[in-house]
Amino acid sequence: MKILLIEDEKELSSAIQSYLTKGNYLCETALTYQSGMEKIDLYQYDCVIVDITLPDGNGLNIIRELKEEHIETGIIIISAKNSLDDKIVGLDIGADDYLTKPFHLSELNARIKSIIRRRNFGGTNEIVLNEIRIIPEQMQVFINDKETILTKKEFDLLMFFLSNKNRVLTKESIAEHLWGEEIDMADSYDFIYTHIKNLRKKMLENEGHDYIQTIYGMGYKFLTT
Amino acid sequence: MNLLTRSSINYIFFSVVAFIIGGIIFFHVVKTVFYRQIDETLKTEKLLIEQQIDFSDTLPDFRQVFSHMIEVTVFNSPKKKFEFIKDTALYDKSLDQLLPVRQLICENTSIQDQGYIISISKPLAETKQMIRTIVGALVLLFISLTGLLIFVNYFISKSIWVPFNKTLENLRNFNISKDASLTLTETKITEFRQLNRTLDRMAKKMQRDYINLKEFNENASHEIQTPLAIIKSKLELLIQGEELNEEQMGMINSVYEATTRMSKLNQGLLLISKIDNNQFHLTEQVNLLKIMEKTLEHFEEIISLKKIRIIHHYHAPACPQMNPALAEILVSNLVSNAIRHNIEEGEIRITMDANGFEIANTGHPVTIPPEELFRRFRKSDRTTDSVGLGLAIVKKIVQLYQFDIQYEVKENFHRLKLNIPRGE
Repeated sequence: MKILLIEDEKELSSAIQSYLTKGNYLCETALTYQSGMEKIDLYQYDCVIVDITLPDGNGLNIIRELKEEHIETGIIIISAKNSLDDKIVGLDIGADDYLTKPFHLSELNARIKSIIRRRNFGGTNEIVLNEIRIIPEQMQVFINDKETILTKKEFDLLMFFLSNKNRVLTKESIAEHLWGEEIDMADSYDFIYTHIKNLRKKMLENEGHDYIQTIYGMGYKFLTT
Repeated sequence: MNLLTRSSINYIFFSVVAFIIGGIIFFHVVKTVFYRQIDETLKTEKLLIEQQIDFSDTLPDFRQVFSHMIEVTVFNSPKKKFEFIKDTALYDKSLDQLLPVRQLICENTSIQDQGYIISISKPLAETKQMIRTIVGALVLLFISLTGLLIFVNYFISKSIWVPFNKTLENLRNFNISKDASLTLTETKITEFRQLNRTLDRMAKKMQRDYINLKEFNENASHEIQTPLAIIKSKLELLIQGEELNEEQMGMINSVYEATTRMSKLNQGLLLISKIDNNQFHLTEQVNLLKIMEKTLEHFEEIISLKKIRIIHHYHAPACPQMNPALAEILVSNLVSNAIRHNIEEGEIRITMDANGFEIANTGHPVTIPPEELFRRFRKSDRTTDSVGLGLAIVKKIVQLYQFDIQYEVKENFHRLKLNIPRGE
């Protein structure tokens, strides 16, 4: 999987690159509009992450260019400007997703996963992990081939974990993933615990593994190794 | 009381006072003049009688003197010489009543050493009638004159204050957060022109400062986002490390939480300044009932985990013209507020009709006046981990669309009532 990250902030760029590289992506970076344009002209990427406020050009043009040259590439906009207009325009000209800075790396990772999945398999894919089999489009989960009924939030939670296997997921990132980033609900951390407890219980009921590890005070980790 | 009423009342008051005093003086002057004239007549007649007595020792023929009552009493012994004029009343047999008269009584001794008393009475009825008529006519004249003056004054004042009232009206319509500048109509009156010029200068300065402040707020919030993003992502990388011990993890966690809080805060402020900067121009008719249902579904788990009971009465959907994103934020903030400040096994009551909705929730008593909670960073001290911008954002949205929101606490029920004025 090849990803191009066009982001002018060097430190942020290196952090994202490092996180994605650990997830077995090949992540290239471009720090300017110019170099970003050059790279998309030369190479083929599965997904391009683009900051639309670049010092030497508007990221929206990169999206337009991408849409003309490589229609199959997934595009995620990241922007410090949480502007509705930019979001509408961006999604309108063909971006798949929009994230506002500051975001959780795990969230970005989950979004990339979701886009690549949708693009590569045309929506009929399955995710299989040991005894777990998921059909994302139908929101169906099978454990040891037995269907396990999950609530929407439990399903989202499981998907989020699977997108970020073996990573520490903070409570905050889980809360924002489940309830959206506008939600200013500190209490939600307590509810994550309940959701995780329920998810764990449902998986164990069907003789599944207990993958979810609690990282004290910090969050949770979906351990597959 | 407006300026015109005030000036008219003052005018009337002073006119009446002046009239009363003037009237009294006038009455006395007229009376004095008339009395003097009567007295002159009486004296002349007395003189005539005396002359005739002295000259021919006879009394004049009084039959020719109409409406005078003259009595001359003659004594053989001499009399002291004195004379006075007084007001008195005489009994009239034909009319069977007392008639007011002016009476001259004079005692004297004639050349023939005969004493006599002359008493001449002149009825005052006619004179009094005349005085009354004159004063009456004058009062009438005065009243109509005053009335006319007040009337004229009213209209003159009214036209003089027109530019002032216009300025006032313009000021009232002036809104610093709107782009339109203060437009004041030209006037020829120097004072008003100065007033307008000063106001204009002040408004321009205010507007400039306001815009600068808004821009600063928005730019600062934007600029903070990137460093926050760096901190956050580096921390997220850091916690992936295997070799961290619990203490280090705890410290990182604190930093991470603080960063998250700060970025939430920043996002809230950014949203407020965006509403201030009117960046949500897109408006359409939104169905708040649908948004309400969606929001409740969104918080479903949290509601059931907190064992909160939702009771709703939807009479009709409220469908105001507003930005759909802001509508969602508005409803979501109010609902999450009602959940967050609720108690275990509490209750949320939602009623909605075409004019708005009310969300009432059980909760702890608030320590500060409810209206204060709409201000930024004001929160009742319990949940310190919320950033305290939720209701401030709600208030901003409400102000933007000129809705009305009220917060009251009654019997441990917190009620937030949103009113949407109709007929827009």
